Amino acid sequence: MGLSLIGPPAAASTRKQAVLGVTLILMLSTLAVIPPEGQAQPPFYAGKTIELLVTFAPGGGTDLDARFFASFFEKHTPGNPRVVVRNMAGGGGVTGANWYWNNAKNDGLMIIAASGSNKIPFILGVPQVQYDFRKWKLIKVNGVGGAVYVSPRTGIRKVEDLLKPQERLVYGSISPTSVDLTTLLAYEVLGMDVKAVFGFEGRGPVRLAFERGEISIDHQTTPAFSSQVGPMVREGKAVPIFSLGQLNERGQIVRDPGFPDLPTVYEAFQILHKNKPDGYIRYKAFRSILSAGFSFQKTFWVPEGTPEDAIRALREAVDRMQRDPAFQQQAKVVLEGYPVTRGDLAEATVLRSLNITLDVRQYILNLLRTKFNVVI
Amino acid sequence: MAEAIAAAAAIFLDPVRLGLMMLGICAGILVGILPGLGGIVAVSIMLPFIYKLDAMAALATMTGAVAVVHTSDTITSVLLGAPGSASSTPSALEGHPLARRGQAARALSAAYLASLIGGIIGAIGLTLSIPIARPLVLTFGSPELFMLCALGVSFAGGLLGKAPLKGIAAGLFGLLLGTVGPTPAVAELRFTFGQMFLADGFNVVIVALGLFGIAEMISILSRGGGISQRIDLGTGWAEGVRDVIRHRWLVVRGSLVGMWVGILPALGATAGSMMAYGQAVATAKDKENFGKGDIRGLIAAEASNNSVMAGDLIPTLLFSVPGSATAALMVGALLRYGILPGPRFVTDHLDLMYVIVWSFAFSSAVGAGLCFLLSPSLARLTRLPFSYIAPPVLLTMLLGAYQVSNAMGEIWLLLLLGLFGWGMKQTGWPRAPLLIGYVLALPMERYFWLTLNLYEGYTWLLRPWVVVFGVLLVAPFAWGFLRRRRDRAVPATSQTSAPQRRRLPTLVGVLFAVLFAGAVVEANRYQPAARLLPWAVAIPGLLVVLAQVFQESRGRATEADDDEADEDPAATDPLERKRRAGRAIAHLGGIVACAALISVLGFRAATALYMLAALLVVARMAPVKAVLYTAVAIGSLWFLGDNVLGLKWP
Repeated sequence: MGLSLIGPPAAASTRKQAVLGVTLILMLSTLAVIPPEGQAQPPFYAGKTIELLVTFAPGGGTDLDARFFASFFEKHTPGNPRVVVRNMAGGGGVTGANWYWNNAKNDGLMIIAASGSNKIPFILGVPQVQYDFRKWKLIKVNGVGGAVYVSPRTGIRKVEDLLKPQERLVYGSISPTSVDLTTLLAYEVLGMDVKAVFGFEGRGPVRLAFERGEISIDHQTTPAFSSQVGPMVREGKAVPIFSLGQLNERGQIVRDPGFPDLPTVYEAFQILHKNKPDGYIRYKAFRSILSAGFSFQKTFWVPEGTPEDAIRALREAVDRMQRDPAFQQQAKVVLEGYPVTRGDLAEATVLRSLNITLDVRQYILNLLRTKFNVVI
Repeated sequence: MAEAIAAAAAIFLDPVRLGLMMLGICAGILVGILPGLGGIVAVSIMLPFIYKLDAMAALATMTGAVAVVHTSDTITSVLLGAPGSASSTPSALEGHPLARRGQAARALSAAYLASLIGGIIGAIGLTLSIPIARPLVLTFGSPELFMLCALGVSFAGGLLGKAPLKGIAAGLFGLLLGTVGPTPAVAELRFTFGQMFLADGFNVVIVALGLFGIAEMISILSRGGGISQRIDLGTGWAEGVRDVIRHRWLVVRGSLVGMWVGILPALGATAGSMMAYGQAVATAKDKENFGKGDIRGLIAAEASNNSVMAGDLIPTLLFSVPGSATAALMVGALLRYGILPGPRFVTDHLDLMYVIVWSFAFSSAVGAGLCFLLSPSLARLTRLPFSYIAPPVLLTMLLGAYQVSNAMGEIWLLLLLGLFGWGMKQTGWPRAPLLIGYVLALPMERYFWLTLNLYEGYTWLLRPWVVVFGVLLVAPFAWGFLRRRRDRAVPATSQTSAPQRRRLPTLVGVLFAVLFAGAVVEANRYQPAARLLPWAVAIPGLLVVLAQVFQESRGRATEADDDEADEDPAATDPLERKRRAGRAIAHLGGIVACAALISVLGFRAATALYMLAALLVVARMAPVKAVLYTAVAIGSLWFLGDNVLGLKWP
């Protein structure tokens, strides 16, 4: 390579550069022949390319999360593989996940970025779902949080007012089987009377409808909340009431670090109904959908049987990137400050939350059928 | 404000950033020219590079790429008749017939200039809109959006062509096509027949490429020879500039329509250019030439599809509601720099906002300039035998279709729609209303249901903008009705051609009838909310088509109503027609065989085989030349796809 860069001028310098080039090549070949001590073999991913499958179109939340992590996996996975993002949109994420289930080899060269929309159909037992998270190994997980806010016209100022609004609460939603199911279940847990209107194309347009006064209660996830709802709150056009809460490793709902001052659904239930929600089936349903749709929303997986070296390298990268100042700085905005957990530490919890009991599933399916006219 | 604009200019004029933006512009031009690839691919190519830059440079690079895609896609649309991206379909419709008459230079220069002005008006609009955009967007609720979509659909009324019944049926069929996939109001999938790749509905890229791109390729191939015998490169350029000057208000109007559609979430770039095109037709006094190479249609559409991208940035940056996937990718990139779009964006990052504005205006100008420079040599391509050009273009289209969801089904759908589009073209069924209906069906249905569910009773009908749109919607019909009453005294003009029976038109008509009837039956199974729109379009559609088929079978409505007859007298000769139909079927068979081979041999081997066969058999190239040409064409496609565009292979 060094030789090809030599330009026409000055023969002397040409010779000098040629000598330099040859020396360099010799040095490099020595390096190649004698491996450095302590590293008996090259890292698993040296010179390889990893495909990161996103089951949604470019530009969506899962895609942005995947692209963010892709660059840091390139930087921190031993061997510095290339990581390319591949989008396979369709069927609300089920198409791509099914494709991965049927086609991905366990060679560690294809990772699936699965989000809440892949998990909710799995939890509900949608017949089109072929994939099974229990046959995959978790690489990393990070979550988001969400909070519910209302319009001041409803007269609601705090949790205590939730059950007696001055006007009908209207909630805008994409569809009852999207991650919005989490919020719909939160309303059920608290016993609120909310009219849900479906057909919006995303949370952004729903927020516009709130600003226009077309709906009176809405939820937004953390980044949108601070940057979009925050200004409305300061102008007195929106009142935050409760957060959905975060699940901890033991499956308990705790305060969301994104909304330290807002009571969680768990606390709101206690305020409204003077007892704990734990025993109620609707609360169990809420908790499992919360885990899929929020707390453990963004996950990377590889198929079972992937070489241990590969899994170890990828999980190691998760640790290494979190020590990278560039990652820390960008994560504050991109991941909204929510922690990233290495796969082996969270796998059992995530799988447990995806595995719901028959009565809980029955409850959700029943609710979807009777209240929202959805038959699965 | 002036200070921020000046400060942004200094940032923007930094040579490194300018250089990077040029790189973005080049990527955008390349992606625009390749049929089926659009802004998303242009931005995705740049993403891995820009993360290594600062926020300003990253934004300038992405804006550069996005701003020129809809300038360079015109080249493909005008010269080949295949839309360079979905939103430049009207340019293919009006620009390509001009190229066939040897006026490629005129069409291209008019298009670039209109694009350039559209981009600059978009940039100015972006600057001016900052203080007023928020309240303006917030006055547009669901009822207004619904009425706007309805108005857009009514523009299709201007595109009906000589046989209004056929046009109405095509528009209704477009609306029906738009209902495939998820229902906005309820959880029900429509017309997917258990096919997962249909679960998100037809993609606009597939519909535009199939109906117009594939159909056009086949029709040119079946005619034989080159696209044009004549190329007036010299005087044509000046003529195009004069066209734009003559129709300056059309340019402004097109730009504003595009900008406004861009600002409103959910309509999309294709709806923007189709609506700009539709309004140009609707407001023209003489409509005869539309669809056959009217420069006005081209100018309006080109002005709009650049400004739509500028408009798109307003909801993206001010509300954090990206109007397109391209804009969403830009938001993702901004997040990496800790920049959150939203209400505070303008106050916190005014300099960034103006860097975007500058980049947009600058890139539009540079993009138009580069396209000007590229065009003379590209225009010469139109004299080559088309059978040389067609194979690589067709393969690029298949590849573009596959990028949509990485399913072979998309390629089959593309070819099916191609066959359908060709049939429509040959038998005088206008395709423009179909595309308008298709792009507006989903937003129209969505905002109709949201309006019904969010507003009490019919009070929404009295909202000011609803009234304005309502008047605009009804006025042309009322006007036409009044005029007809006035003109009734004058006897109708005599029939132009002697009645003659034709079999093929009836065939397409019968196919439409079957599809409409099938939709009526199939929709019967759905819940009422999912059934409403399919029935509302399929039942009248069926009646209209039956009326048309009845007329045809009686030998009426037989005016030679396809576009080809006007330019090419040979096309009316029945023997020649038959020969061409045979050739078209053979070409289609070849592509279908290629697609089938792809599933067996993989994309690379199959396409190489197809191209070689096409060159040897159809183009009758010398074997050595054919092998060399195939190697170069397929090789560069692989290289570009793998190393530059990051495409996925079937």
